[in-house]
Amino acid sequence: MQDLIPAQVRSRLKELRLVSRRATGQQGIGLHHSRSRGAGLEFSQYRAYEPGDELRQIDWKLYARSDRFFVREAERESPLAAWILIDASASMAQQDALRPGWSRLDAAKSLAACIAELALRQGDRFGLVVLSESGLRLVPAGDGARQRDRVLLELHALQAGGTFPATSKLAPVWDRIGASDLVVMLSDCFDAGVVELMQQLSAARREVLAIPMLTVEERDFPFKGGYRFRDPETGEELLGDGDALRIEFLRRFGEAREALHAQLDASGIRHAQYVLDEPLDLPLRRLFGSRDAAEYT
Amino acid sequence: MSMFLLAPAALAALAALLLPLLIHLARRSEQRPTDFAALRWLRQKPRPRHRLRFDEWPLLLLRLLLLALLALWLARPMLGGSGGAAPWVAVVPGVDIEAARATINDPAARLHWLAPGSPALEQPAPSGPQPIASLLRQLDAELPPGVVLTVVVPELLQGVDAERPRLSRAIEWRVLPGAMPAPEVTPPVTAPRFAVRHASDREDAVRYLRAAASAWQAGPNPSAEAAAPHFSAGPTSQPVDAHTRWLAWLAPGALQPAIDAWVKDGGIILVDAETTLAPGQPRVVVWHDALGSPLVEAIRHGKGRVLRLTRPLAPATMPQLLEPEFPRQLRALFENPALAPTRVSARDYSPLAGGDSYPQAPRDLQPWLAMLIALLLLLERWLATRRRRGVAP
Repeated sequence: MQDLIPAQVRSRLKELRLVSRRATGQQGIGLHHSRSRGAGLEFSQYRAYEPGDELRQIDWKLYARSDRFFVREAERESPLAAWILIDASASMAQQDALRPGWSRLDAAKSLAACIAELALRQGDRFGLVVLSESGLRLVPAGDGARQRDRVLLELHALQAGGTFPATSKLAPVWDRIGASDLVVMLSDCFDAGVVELMQQLSAARREVLAIPMLTVEERDFPFKGGYRFRDPETGEELLGDGDALRIEFLRRFGEAREALHAQLDASGIRHAQYVLDEPLDLPLRRLFGSRDAAEYT
Repeated sequence: MSMFLLAPAALAALAALLLPLLIHLARRSEQRPTDFAALRWLRQKPRPRHRLRFDEWPLLLLRLLLLALLALWLARPMLGGSGGAAPWVAVVPGVDIEAARATINDPAARLHWLAPGSPALEQPAPSGPQPIASLLRQLDAELPPGVVLTVVVPELLQGVDAERPRLSRAIEWRVLPGAMPAPEVTPPVTAPRFAVRHASDREDAVRYLRAAASAWQAGPNPSAEAAAPHFSAGPTSQPVDAHTRWLAWLAPGALQPAIDAWVKDGGIILVDAETTLAPGQPRVVVWHDALGSPLVEAIRHGKGRVLRLTRPLAPATMPQLLEPEFPRQLRALFENPALAPTRVSARDYSPLAGGDSYPQAPRDLQPWLAMLIALLLLLERWLATRRRRGVAP
């Protein structure tokens, strides 16, 4: 199975940490060091007894079987769950003519894999929600390497198609994503439904991050001559001349982007735009870079 | 200079100009569908698509030009009046060249000899007699109407005909001292000796010939030399005197070789209707009777001539023998036609104006156009097949 994360990006991921502004400081200093082992609900591992361990932590039944002291270690749950939301509408399948095989959805998959990798390394729980017209596909939040594999498996099977799902189908999102969870939305953000969902999540005290994804053609509009432009979601077509449309499109599209950014800012949604020819970790760096916010380890 | 078309209907081929226009208008690239999710920002202000746009302007223009030229080529363009407007000076041989140049003030004038082909004055003077009047008419017909024509002539002209030439324009006729070289004059026939050689059964005809020969002597003013054409008659076996110029041979069958050689050497012989001659020679009827049927045919043979009777020389078949005109007509058969006088004083021979003018022969532009078309075709192929080129037509 092809690795979704390029090697260079993987090496650069080490500098990044998933950060939630809402999670930090909420449950007291130190709580976010979720690796603090000890009593807890979830069993983590056995380890050999070391002098200084509490006697009550020794698993006596195991001692009876093996005649050695083992300390039963539990891991407390991370206070943070990272949810990766991927928009799988047909518009996400758009790719540049100059770089076929690298669609918006491919980039979204890679970004999702990166985020899963980051969360895994931090011991955070993470889950995946694919928003497609046919219905939501959902990988419940969890942690560990197997969780990552489940997410990767789901990502590999992911195909874009249809439109953005109606609000009525989005109920599972509200069931699963708890308060103060981190939500990363990977979408082109063209659809009003995406923005609305993000605003609602943000208003409901979820930490929402947005990565609006653009193709190079949308940013530069490099078309020359006549084209038959087709909207992949509605199927509408427009015959147009690239040169004649360029200035007007760039102006309108820029305005729309500005409006979107203002909307996201007003809703307290951090966002980092990603264009398909940029390095994959750039939006993550913008969102989670160490300079931007308090580190979360 | 004026261009015109011999086949203007071929200009209908200009309709083919629509072809490259349509080809370049088709714009295959427009059929290429492109997914574009941000269509709503593209769509909001629909631009009018009625504006015609063509791909690859240079190639289109080149193709249009090529087709237009091709249509023009089909229409057979001709260029009229390309002869130039500079004054033309024709110099008749016999004039001193320097003196002729001195009379011409215009530096733009074109100086040529008045000779076939109009050689330039720098070339040596054409030798031999020139048909002046004929050349003058030709020159006048070939020059465009507006061109001033000056003819420099010597005082004495040769080779003219009996009428003052009538040209389409008023020409300048300059007479300079000098004379054209006189043509060689063949001396007139002085003492025609007439001999008759006959077969034995043709003896009756001899007396008519003898009578005619003696009638030649009885002219109204017989000169000393031309008066006595010797007449001799004899059988075919009798050899012909070397000085004999005219001979009548009245015998069937082929000519004797000696006689044949004599004719080839310049003799004139009147042969019987039954004499066999070498076939294939063109025969010219030189004497008709009143009804138009031929009496005597003339055949060239070497330097000489053979006059062949078409019927027996007897009054029953040829009543002309009995007519008083017979001696004169017989002599006219033998004699060369006299030369018309061709020498004239140049002052009396200045051409008259008011003759017919002729349309100028236009120059055919088709070969030049064909070359241009071939060049353009190469250029078009190069433009259309070079490597750095889009997908369009």
